[in-house]
Parts: sequence; C-alpha cells; structure tokens
Amino acid sequence: MQYRVRHITKYAYGAPVSLCYNMAHLLPRDTEHQRCLNQKVRIYPLPVYQNENTDYFGNQTFYFSIQEAHKKLEIDVTCDFDITPIDLDAYRAKSITSCGQLRAFMQSPRTEAEHLAKEYLLDSPQIRRSEDLRNYAKEIFSDEKNVLKATLEFTHKLFSEFTFDPNTTTVATPLEQVLAQRSGVCQDFAHLAIGCLRSVGLPARYMSGYLETLPPPGQEKLIGVDASHAWFAIFLPELGWVEFDPTNDLMPSDQHIVTAWGRDYADVTPLQGVIFEGGGSQQMSVSVDVRRL
Amino acid sequence: MQSQSSIVNTPADDTSSAPALFSDYEMPTDAFDEAFTEDRQTRPHWEHLLNSIRGLTNDGMVDRQARAQRILREDGATYNLTSDPLTPSVWSLDLIPNIIQSDEWRQIEEGLAQRSALFDLILKDFYGPRELIKSGTLPAEILFSHPGFLRQCHNVTTPGPHQLLLHGVDMVRDQTGQFQIIGDRTQAPSGAGYALENRTVVSRVIPSIFRDSQVHRLSAFFHSLKGMLSKLASEWTETPRIVMLTPGAFSSTYFEQAYMANYLGFPLVQGSDLTVRNGAVWMKSLSGLARVDVILRRVDDAYCDQAELRTDSMLGVPGLLEVVRAGNVAIANPLGSGVLETPALLKFLPAISRFLTGSDLALPSVSSWWCGDPEDFNYVTHNIENLIIKSAIRHANQSSIYGHTLNEKQKLSTLAMIKKHPHLYTAQSYIPGSVAPVWQDGGLQARPSILRAFTVSDQDHYSVMPGGLSRVSNSVRDKIVSPLSSSTSKDTWILASEPEKQTAQLSDKLILQDEALQTNLPSRVVENLFWMGRYAERAELSTRLLRTLFKQMNGIDPLPAESRRLMLEMVSIQTGCLPGFTEADDALIDAPDSELVSIITDGNRPGSIKANLQAMINCGEQVKEMLSADTRIIINELRDHIHELDRAYTNGLPAAPEESLDSLVTSLLALSGLNHESMLRGLDWTFQEIGRRTERALQTATLLRSSLTKPLPAAQQQQVLESVLLSVEALISFRRRYRNRARVAYGLELLMLDSTNPRSLIYQINQLRKHIKKLPRNNMPSAGLSPENHLIIKSLNDIQLADLDGLVQVDRNTQTRLPLEQLMTQLLEQLEQFTVFISEKYFDHTAGPHSLVENNWEGH
Repeated sequence: MQYRVRHITKYAYGAPVSLCYNMAHLLPRDTEHQRCLNQKVRIYPLPVYQNENTDYFGNQTFYFSIQEAHKKLEIDVTCDFDITPIDLDAYRAKSITSCGQLRAFMQSPRTEAEHLAKEYLLDSPQIRRSEDLRNYAKEIFSDEKNVLKATLEFTHKLFSEFTFDPNTTTVATPLEQVLAQRSGVCQDFAHLAIGCLRSVGLPARYMSGYLETLPPPGQEKLIGVDASHAWFAIFLPELGWVEFDPTNDLMPSDQHIVTAWGRDYADVTPLQGVIFEGGGSQQMSVSVDVRRL
Repeated sequence: MQSQSSIVNTPADDTSSAPALFSDYEMPTDAFDEAFTEDRQTRPHWEHLLNSIRGLTNDGMVDRQARAQRILREDGATYNLTSDPLTPSVWSLDLIPNIIQSDEWRQIEEGLAQRSALFDLILKDFYGPRELIKSGTLPAEILFSHPGFLRQCHNVTTPGPHQLLLHGVDMVRDQTGQFQIIGDRTQAPSGAGYALENRTVVSRVIPSIFRDSQVHRLSAFFHSLKGMLSKLASEWTETPRIVMLTPGAFSSTYFEQAYMANYLGFPLVQGSDLTVRNGAVWMKSLSGLARVDVILRRVDDAYCDQAELRTDSMLGVPGLLEVVRAGNVAIANPLGSGVLETPALLKFLPAISRFLTGSDLALPSVSSWWCGDPEDFNYVTHNIENLIIKSAIRHANQSSIYGHTLNEKQKLSTLAMIKKHPHLYTAQSYIPGSVAPVWQDGGLQARPSILRAFTVSDQDHYSVMPGGLSRVSNSVRDKIVSPLSSSTSKDTWILASEPEKQTAQLSDKLILQDEALQTNLPSRVVENLFWMGRYAERAELSTRLLRTLFKQMNGIDPLPAESRRLMLEMVSIQTGCLPGFTEADDALIDAPDSELVSIITDGNRPGSIKANLQAMINCGEQVKEMLSADTRIIINELRDHIHELDRAYTNGLPAAPEESLDSLVTSLLALSGLNHESMLRGLDWTFQEIGRRTERALQTATLLRSSLTKPLPAAQQQQVLESVLLSVEALISFRRRYRNRARVAYGLELLMLDSTNPRSLIYQINQLRKHIKKLPRNNMPSAGLSPENHLIIKSLNDIQLADLDGLVQVDRNTQTRLPLEQLMTQLLEQLEQFTVFISEKYFDHTAGPHSLVENNWEGH
C-alpha cells in the first residue's frame, strides 16, 4: 500500500519574531514494515541554517534556524510511503510469552534486546508509574496470561471505557486526570496505556504518526481532515515491538504511518525550540492529509 | 642532626612557646594520621614543615594566618556571594599544607590517569553503542533513569581522542592509609582554581618553607589544560577563540571562575553574552559578533541550551547543542558528561574496567551497594548505620545521608524513601578520612580531611595535577567534610624527589591577558563598567553634598530658614530620594535627622548613599575578573566603611555626621584616582570613564539647577553658593579667583564654563567628546555625525554660547532664574538621551528566549 502524507504546521505570532531555533520530529522513519519513497520539506521564511539528523531513537530529525523577522512560520512536509501490511495472524501464532514470564525477563534480562527494552519500563518525562495505573490494569495482565492477548483485551477496555473528546485535555494534562475523567485524545490514551503497562512491569513505548481515515461511503474525502495520530507498542522477546491502537481498538496493519517513537510524547515532540522577541500571542494550526497513491 | 621529633616531647632546644603548639593535638584512634605515626612520631616528610612552624612561634603563625586572610580578601577570593554584595564570605584557608610524598603520589597519579581513561571509555559507550548495557555489565536502570543521560547528545562527539576532557576525583584515606575514591566530578569540576589560589597565597606567606620543601608546581597542569582546549578546534582554526562560560556572579564558585579565566587568558562570558548565528557560536562583543571556537564551561549540562535541553534555563545559549553536533564548536566537558557522576557507577567499576579494558583498576573506589539490586538493598537495610546514602542524582540542595547520624525513626523513613525508587539510591561504606594538622587557637589540631584531585586530557593520555584541593572539617568530632565552598581548605604539596627545573613558560604567575581580550570584551562587561563608573560618581557627589550640609547645619551660626530648607531640598533632589524634603512641612525641616539617616543608610531606598555604593560594588562583582588587585582593596575598604556607617547611624545621626562621611569620600576618590593612574587605556577604561563623565555632568547640572535657580537675599545666596562650591571642591579656587565677590554668575563661570576645572560641565563634555572618538563603530557609514556625537557637540555649543549675565536674570512671573533652569533642563535631557544612544549601540538588549512548546523536563 502506498500513501502520500502532507503535513502543514503554521504559526502566527502577534509580534515579529527576530530569531528562532527549532528541532522538528516531522520527517518519517523507515521501519520493518514501512519505507519512505521520497520526502520534501519547505519552510517559510527560508531558514539560514538547516540540518537533518538521526536521533537517539533512530528517528529522523530536522533542525532549522531563522534569523529574519517573521510573523508567520510555515513548515510543509510531504512524504510518500510504501507500507507492507503487518501479518497479525502470524503474530498471534508466534506469541508465546506470558505476562509473568515477561516481567521475570525484565527483572533478569537475557538478551541485548531485553536489556535495552528496560528503558521503556522506567518513568519518562511525561509518564510516571503509579499505584492507580497499576490497579487499573493489573487484573488483565495476570501472570499466566499471554501478553499479546492481554494487551488486546486491555486496548479494548480503554476503547470502551474512554470517550474521545479533544476538549478535555491538553499536551500537559497529567495521566491521573485522564484516568479519572475517562476521556481524552489519542495521545492521552497512548500515554495512559504505556503508563499502565509500565506500572505492571511491562515495557511499552510511544508511537507517533498518521492514520488514514476513510470518508463515509459514497462521499468524497476532504483535504486536511486527517490528524497526527499516536498509539503504543509493547516489547515481546519473540516478536520485538508489537503495536496497538487504543483509540481505534485495533492492532495497526497497513493504515498506520510511523514518523517517530520514543519513551513518550516529549521524546518526539513534532516541533520544539525557542523564539526571540516578539511572539506575543501565538497561534498554531496543523493540517494533515493522508491519501492513497 | 635531625632526629624524629615526637609530639609530646619537643626537643629541649626549642623555645618555650613550642610545647603549646602541639598540646591540643588529639591522636586519632580510628583514622590514619597524615603527619604522625601511631607511636606519635612525626612522619619524615612532615619534619621540615613542622619544625619550621615551631620556629615561627605562635605570634609568627597568627601573623601569617592574618596575612593570608588579607591576601584572600584582596584577591576577592569569596564564595557564595548571595544577593548582598556587602558581606561576601571569604574563602577559608589553613596555612599548613597537606603533604604527600613523591613515591606515593606516583602511584596515585597512575591510578587517577587510569580512572579518567576508563571514565572516558564509559562516556563514549553511553552516548554510542551502549555495550555496557547490552551486555548487562551495568544495570540498564542506572543509565536510563538518570536525568543526566541526555539522549539529545547521542552520537555527538568532540574532536580528539577523548570525550572526557576534565575530571575531578574526590578521595579519602582509609584507616590503613590507602586512598579510596568516593566520588567523581565530570561536568564542570570545580576546585582547580581554588587550589591554585591556595598555592599562591601559601607560597607568599611562608615563602622560605615553601622554597625549601621542593614542591611540585601546579602550572604545568594549567598549561596542559590550555593546550588541550586550543587543540579542540584545530580541525577548523589555528587561532581558536576560547571562552569560559559562567553561570554568573551569584554562582557559589564565581571567584574561581573569574580567577581561572584571567589566569588562562580567556574572556569570562555568561550565556547571554553568546549567540548562535549561521550555525556557529558568537560572542556579542563591542566590535560586533566574534566567532567562538571552544567553550570551557561551568554551567551544568541541562542548562546549556534552551532550544533542546531545559527550556526554563536562564544560563544557556539557545541552539548551542546543534552547533556542537554540526562540529562548529567544542565544549569542555562535552554536554551530557554529568551522567558519569552517578555514585551508582562505583559498585560496577571493577567489572566495567575488565569489560572495557581487560585490566583492573589500581586505585580502589569505596565499597558501594546499589539499592536497585535486592541483595544490596537487603544489606543496606541491615547496615545503614555504617553507610552513607547517596542519591543517583546530585542536587545542589540535597546532601548525602550519614547513617550513623540517624535515630531509629529516621532510619526507617530513609529506608522507606529508598524503597520507593531503589534504583535511584546508592550506599557507600563510611570512611572517616585521614586526619591532618591544622593551625587553630595557637596550636595544631587534628581534622579529618578529603582530597580532590584533577586530571586533564593531554594528547593520548591524562595529566594529573601534582597537588589538589585538600579540605578539612571544622572540628575533630565533625567527621563530615561539608561541600567545597564552606569547609576550610589546604594547599596540597606533592614533594619532588629532586628540585624541579624552572621552565620559562611555566610559571605559577598569572598569564597576562592577551590583547584580543582587550578588544573583544563582551558587551555585558563594558555595560557593568559603565554603570560602575556612574554609581561611583553618584555616590561621591551625594556624599559630598551631605557632608557640606552637615557642616553648614552644625556651623557656629544657625542656618537661616530659607537656605536651610533649600539645602535640604537639594539633598533630596540630588539623591533622588523623593519627595523627602521637597514637599516638607516645617516640622520635617526642623527635625530632618531621620530622613537624613535614611538617605544615607537605607540600602533599599534607590538613590541613597548606601544603595549607590551597593550597586557600584555589585557591578564590580559582575566583572570581578576585570578589576585590579588595588581596586579590590578599595572595594573591600568601601565595604568596611559601609558597615561602619551602619553602626554609626544605628541610633540616628552621630555626633559629628560630617566626619562620618570622610572616609567614604576618601575611598571613592582613591577609586577614581586609581582608574586614572593605573588602568590601561583600553575600551574597559573608556566605558568606565564615559559612565563617570556623563554622571558627573548630570550630577553637576542637577545641582546647579536645584541650588541656584531660586534667588535668595544676598547673605543667604552666598551661603548656598559656597555650599555648592564646597560640595564640588571648588570653594578655594573660587575665593582665590573672585576674592569675596560671591556672585552667582562667577560661580556658574567656574562650574559650567571653565574648561580647566575638572568638575565643570564643559570639562565633562570635552572628555566625553574625546572618549567617544575611540569607540568602535563610531564613524557613520554616511558622512553625518552619529547621534551620540551630535548630542555631545550640541551640548558643548549650548554651554559655550550661554550668556552668563543672561542666565542669572530673575524672571518676573516665576521669580526664578528661568534661563538657567531652562539651560540645565535641556542639558540634562541631552545627556540622558546620550546614555540611551550609547546603551543601545554598545550594550546587549536581546530579550530572553521564549519556548515554542513547553517541554516538561525530567526531574525526580
């Protein structure tokens, strides 16, 4: 399956900004199931300095700095992807580890991959393990249960108990509040799931990217209606990292496009940095368009 | 013949004061003694020193100790400069050095160099392949949960063979005399500069003992440091510009930073003095932006770059990390090196050393237990009273927990705290540290000690400073040696087996500031000098005016009501302590004492004498590295005078208030005299002068306007005019020139128009005109005058064209000398505008950065 993704981020400032330094996680990365065919980045105003790199997690970064006064900043990224569907049946067939076993492996890692997976078991900038999170998840992840089955069950639990509501949270809403109010957006659900998994001793990481949305039958798809998406992955010794999407109650196969992964949102913030002078009020708008080629 | 002298039985030929020297010395029962053997014999390598000290007698030692303190204070050797610049704490130095023999040091040296090489490999592994984690040699939690592990620095490398460039190592001797390492400093190790200052002071105060002892010199270490830094940028430049990045004057070790910056010849800069443009780092200097190639930093890792690291930092340079990543600047130590400071590493070092190098470490680390390991945690639970608990993360305001100081309840709560996040805690067995003799209360006393050693990357190996910073606790019972800045320190003498050859370029003397340093001053530095000059001038004229007022009020004849009111008003206007006497009722004019006390000693009142002096000293502290030793002496005197003033004014005005201000005026005069006589005419001097001249002109114009625009009856007019002349030290010249004809117009002639009077308005403007010609970027690209030039020439003309007789005419409507008032007001406006132009052109006005997106910084 081939896709073209266009992601436009716009900032409008109340007063001119004289200087800015930005680090973006907006470029796609290659994965086992995904290949980037080509990519185009256009930034306005033209940066005086720009540089592409690979970060600690293997994600592509794009760094730029603008030195001319500007009241508007626009970053326009277009990428074409080729995605090989993930064979979920094969996953189910191969999955053998139980929750109890995985917890034990994490206590005494046997392989390089297991040692490294411990990074995703610990607290991270935006996700802290807690007793509340553990209590919410512990029954499902009982020792004898198969990890893959349990995580599917847990994904379904989140999907059915939580309401998608963009107006109840921000990027800074703590997990405890999301858990208490039972609502949020994809990023909250991904963080919550990761927090629960880590709290019961299982390693989980944050996935950031896009999701193809299909229009209702018979209607033309509108441009720009898509959005960035977030989900999570769990580490299994026999399969590596396996992805789950609690917002849509499914395991991604060929409709999820990955831009970056990390311990949580803070590791893969789409655009971070500082601006000098001006700024004043600041408005951001994002438009994402995912379509099949 | 030299026999081994014992502590109790001093040789018979010694003077009578000698026995007292050693009578308070308690032999330690549970620790190694640096100077004495178990059977109370002086160790041979201490004999020369202790015999010499005995020879000095008590008085001699007291005298030398006092001299040492004086030198330290004059050098500005302070720490923890809090927001009160008047009471800095002076670095505490015990004169008796700690002595280590040549043979023993050779082994320590090898061990330290080996340790630094290992830490370098660990650093490379952490930010590269992470084999230590993958192989399970180091538990993953130790690295992954440490906030100092900056993932942003992954694969970012510094040119050259080493990533770890500077290393500080804390060590203590155990009971057997073996050194054990208890901690590492790998971000921006402090203490090397204090060690150098200690050496400088000790070698000055006990020069012959130092000379005869064949002590290894420290300069080679700093030479290696300078050489290493110069090579870091060799890939792109032969002549690197190296700067030292400081958190600022309120950093607890600011003295050391300023001292080292001067010694090494690097500009001392703050984050806001630097900027990232076009993919490189630049210093905002007077002559524009100057490219920076190497940064020796004293700012902690996470605070160095607001764009990628802590967005809430006030100390960093936004965009810095990307410049490092692109290979356009090098930082020592590299960003991210702080993770090596985690005490959890110590337990695993032997295994790490075998894994990475195949060999064992020569210098042992203290026995450690990592609480993330259940067995270790179990051990800690049962042995906490013999352990020190350290957090994996070093916090400025959190010290280690000493198990033996805890009661049962505290033990339980400590263990409960550990149990919550066991992997974040490490326990170390508690080693009291060897005792060393200090000079205290007229004799030697035993104190537990700790040594910080330093290494620096030097080509393919590490060079070790032959010496270090020894610290001792403040009493023999107090086994805990407190943080670097607040304990007593000692020089550390490594004895050479043969006299050291003096090499020409390696002297312990200061390496003179190079010329580039003069022309490339950071804008912040000149701004502080400019303001230092202004505040000094402000303080001086206010003080003089008050002194005159006191003389007049306490004169033989009481002041007539009108001139009394006018003079009090002048004081309020001159100091800006308003409304003060300007809208006063008669009661206040009759009883002005408390207001006058406030104008002098209320440091919180802008414009008061004390506030101006504080502000001046503050500016001085900000640019400590630019001030001469003599300037620091005068600043210290000013501090003392302010304290004396506070005491004298505690219960209102003192008996002879005019005299209380004399010493202040004298010190302020000394300061301006020193500027004139001893400072090189560089841009630093020019800016200080511009500050002074502008301020003196402003003060003089203010004074003339407030004192002479109101016409008074003849006798009173003369009194006021004479007061004005007295305040600006012109009364004698005036009388000589005009005899007793005390006309206002004559006064104005002397104070405005006489270009030979260094306190006249025209003199200041002429000086300013000369100074601004020397400033960089003075010439406009087009033919016209620069705006600051324009204002100065206009002011000059305004003064020269003034008609003296016209100025003193009294306006019928307002009953004032309106033309005089108008001219002064106009000059004041022009001069204020002039300072705005200078400030906008030469000082930095970038507002701080704002974060585009708030990122939550990880902190436990």
